[in-house]
Amino acid sequence: MLTTGFKLWFGFCAAAVSAAVFAGYTSGATETGPISLGWKGGVGHHVTYVVFVVAAAVFGLLGIMAVAFRDADSESVAEVLGVDTAPPVQPKVGSSVWPALGAMGIATVVVGLVVSSALFVVGLLLLVAVGLEWTMANWSEKATGDPVANRELRERLLRPIEIPVLALVGIGVLVLAMSRVLLASSVNGAVLVAGVVGVCVFGAAFLFSRRPNIPRRVVSTVLILSCVAVLVAGIVAAATGEREFHQKGGGSGGDHVEVGE
Amino acid sequence: MTETETAADTTRTGDVVPTALEAAVTTTDHLRIGRAWIASGVLFLVASLVAGLLVSLERMDLSGMALFGSVDTLFRLWSAYRVGIVLLAVVPIIVGLATAVVPLQVGASSVVFPRAASLGFWVWAMGAAITVTGFLIDGGLGTPGGTSRTDAVALTLLGLLMVIGGICCSTVCILTTIVAGRTGGMTLSRIPLFAWTVLVAGSIWLVTLPVLAANAVLIYVDLSGRSAVAFGVEDTIWEQLSWAFSHPQVYAFALPLVGIAGDIVPVAARRRHGSHSTLLVLTALIGLLSFGAYAQSAFDIGTPIREQAIFVVEAFLIVPVVLAVLAGLVDTWRRGSGGRPPAPLVLSMLAVLLLLDGAIVGAIRAVSPLDLLETSATGAQMTFTIGGVLVAVMAGTLWWGDRILGRVAPQGLGFVSGLSAAAGVTLIGVADTISGLLGMNDFTAGDAIGAGSPGSVVDIFNVVAVVGAALLLVGVMGWGLTGLRRLRGAEAPADPWGGHTLEWATGPVEVTSDSPLLDVIAEVGS
Repeated sequence: MLTTGFKLWFGFCAAAVSAAVFAGYTSGATETGPISLGWKGGVGHHVTYVVFVVAAAVFGLLGIMAVAFRDADSESVAEVLGVDTAPPVQPKVGSSVWPALGAMGIATVVVGLVVSSALFVVGLLLLVAVGLEWTMANWSEKATGDPVANRELRERLLRPIEIPVLALVGIGVLVLAMSRVLLASSVNGAVLVAGVVGVCVFGAAFLFSRRPNIPRRVVSTVLILSCVAVLVAGIVAAATGEREFHQKGGGSGGDHVEVGE
Repeated sequence: MTETETAADTTRTGDVVPTALEAAVTTTDHLRIGRAWIASGVLFLVASLVAGLLVSLERMDLSGMALFGSVDTLFRLWSAYRVGIVLLAVVPIIVGLATAVVPLQVGASSVVFPRAASLGFWVWAMGAAITVTGFLIDGGLGTPGGTSRTDAVALTLLGLLMVIGGICCSTVCILTTIVAGRTGGMTLSRIPLFAWTVLVAGSIWLVTLPVLAANAVLIYVDLSGRSAVAFGVEDTIWEQLSWAFSHPQVYAFALPLVGIAGDIVPVAARRRHGSHSTLLVLTALIGLLSFGAYAQSAFDIGTPIREQAIFVVEAFLIVPVVLAVLAGLVDTWRRGSGGRPPAPLVLSMLAVLLLLDGAIVGAIRAVSPLDLLETSATGAQMTFTIGGVLVAVMAGTLWWGDRILGRVAPQGLGFVSGLSAAAGVTLIGVADTISGLLGMNDFTAGDAIGAGSPGSVVDIFNVVAVVGAALLLVGVMGWGLTGLRRLRGAEAPADPWGGHTLEWATGPVEVTSDSPLLDVIAEVGS
C-alpha cells in the first residue's frame, strides 16, 4: 500500500528529477546526458544538476522510509494506540517550542557563517539538540494512547540528560558573562562588582529560604531577570573589551600578572 | 459521507495554561500561525513601502542625491523595496491567509504538519529580520565595493535563503493539506477557488523559489572568495536574482488574488459561477504561464532569454487568460442579486483589474522594438501585479477576518484604505509605464544617469509616482489600523456574509453535491 507520506515524498522526488533534467537541458547539456545521470554525455550546469539529483535521491529515500514504517497507515496507528479502529480524524497536535528554537538555531548558524565560527558551532549544537528533542517529543506523544503516560515516558528518558546539560550550559554561560564583566572593570571596580553580586546572590537565597511561601512565579521572575541582567552585562562587557593588563616584575617568570587602571 | 470533527488534544495533560507569550511562540494552531504571518507581513510591508517612497522622492532629482548621497545607497534601498514587498510582505501575507483559511475551506481540522508550519513561520521571520539587518548595515544585493560591505551582502543573501526556506516549508504544509487533508467528498474539482489557486501558485513557488535559493547560494559561494569554486556571479548579484521580481514569475505570486476574488464574488452575488471548472482551468493556465525560473541571464545562451519566443508568447498569452477570468467574475456578479456590493467585492475586482493592467504592461514590455526591458516599465509591471495582490489580500482579510480573528472590523475604514492603495498602485504603475516609454531606466546601473531619469520630461511622472507611493503607504497603514481596531471589535457572527463554503460552517458538515458553493453543505447537528 502506498502511504500518504510516500505519495508526498515521491512527488517531491519526481519534481526534483524533472527540475534536474530541465536544468540540464537549459544549461547546455547533450541530448542524453541529463537522463542518463551524465553517463552518456554532459549534464549542463553540473552544480545545479547535482543538487537536484541529490535532492531527488533524498526525497526518494524518505518515500521508501515512509512505506517501510507504514506512515499514516490506519491499521498501524490503531495497533500503536491499542484500539480496534483508527481514530476518524488526525489527533490534534499540541503546542511545541521546538519549531521556534529550531528556527533560532538556523538563524544562529546563518549569522555564525558570516560573523564567527564559534557562533556557527553554537547554532549547529542548538540544531542537533532541537532535532533530538523534537524527535523524542513526536515519538513519546504517540507511544501510547494515554497522554499522561506519554509525558512520563518522555520525562523518564530525557530529564536525566536535559537537567545536567542545561545546568552545565547555564552555569557556563553565566560564568563566562560574569568573567567578561570582571575583566572589563577596573581593578577596584571588579572587586566591587564581585562583592555586590555575591551579596545579592546570598541575600536572595537567604530571603527565599526564610520565606518559603513566596509564590513560585515571583521566584522564577527574579531568577530570570537576574540571569538576563548578567547576560546583557556580559555581552556589553565583551563588546567593550578587557581592561589593559601589564606584566609586573619584568616578565621573565611569567607568573606575575597585574592589572593597570 | 465523511464528517469533520474536532479531535481531542492527546498531547497535553491539561493542567498548565500557557501565558500569552508562550502561546504565541509555541502555537501550532493554524489560525494563530496565519495571524502571525499576516501581522509580520504587514509590518515588513510598511517598512518596504517607506523604502519605496524614499526611493521615489530621490528619483525626482537624481543629480544631487540629496537623500542618500550615493547611487550605492539608493540602489540598496531600491532593491530592498522590491525584495521586501514581494518576499517579506505580500507572499507571507498570502501564506498567512492560506494557512488560516485553506484548512477550513477543504474541511481539514488543521493544517497538515502544524509544527512544520510553525517552523516555516519562525524560519521566515528570523530570515526576514536578518535580511533587513543586512540591508541596514550596508549590505543588500548590490555588488560589493563602494559603500557595500561584503560580509553584510553575504548576510543579506543568507537571510534571503531563510526567507525562501520558511515560505517553502509553510507552502508544503498548505499544499499537503489541500492534497491529502480534504474531507470526504471534497474532490479537487470542488474545492473553493482560493484553495485551488493556492495549490497552483504554491506548486509554482516550490519549483521556482529553490532556483532563487540556488542563485543566492552561488553568489554566496563567490563572495566567500575561494577561487577553487568560483561561478563569476558576484558582480551581477541583482541580475542573478531579479527574475523573481518581474515577468513572468510575479504572476505566480499574484495568482491567489484570482482565488480571493473568485470566492468573494459568488457569495456576494448570491449566484454560482457560470462554470467553476472553467475558472479552475484558467487559473491553472495562469500558473503554468507564470513559471519564471528560466528567465534569468544565467541561461542566456545565444539569444537572450528575454528575447526568446517563450518569454514573449507567455507575456501575450497571459492577457487573454486574465481577461477571461475577469469576464467570468463580472458575469457571475451581473447574473447575481445585484444588491449593493460589499467592500471586499469591490476591492477584489479592483485587484483583478490591476492584475490585468500588469499583464498588459508585461505584454507591451515584451515587444522588442519598444526596448522596454531595462526601463521603468519593468517596475510598473511589478507594481501593478504585486499591488493587485496587495489590494486582494486587503479584500481577503476584510472578507475572512471575522473568521480568522473572531471579531468584526470597521468595513468603511478597510474599504477606504483599499481604495487608497489601489489608487496609489495605479498612479505608480501608470507613471512608471509612461516614464519607461520615455526612456527612464529601471535603477540597475551604477551611476546617477543610468540609475534613473536622464533629466528629460519624465520629471512630472516621477512626481505622480511619489503621490502614488504616498497614497499606497497611507492605504496600507489604514489597513493595519483596521486590523488593530478589529482586535477590539465586537464578537463576530459565525457567518457574516451568508457564505456557503466550508470555512463558514460552524459545526460538523457533510459534502453532498458537485460544487462547493451555495447548496452543497447540509449542516448536521451544529
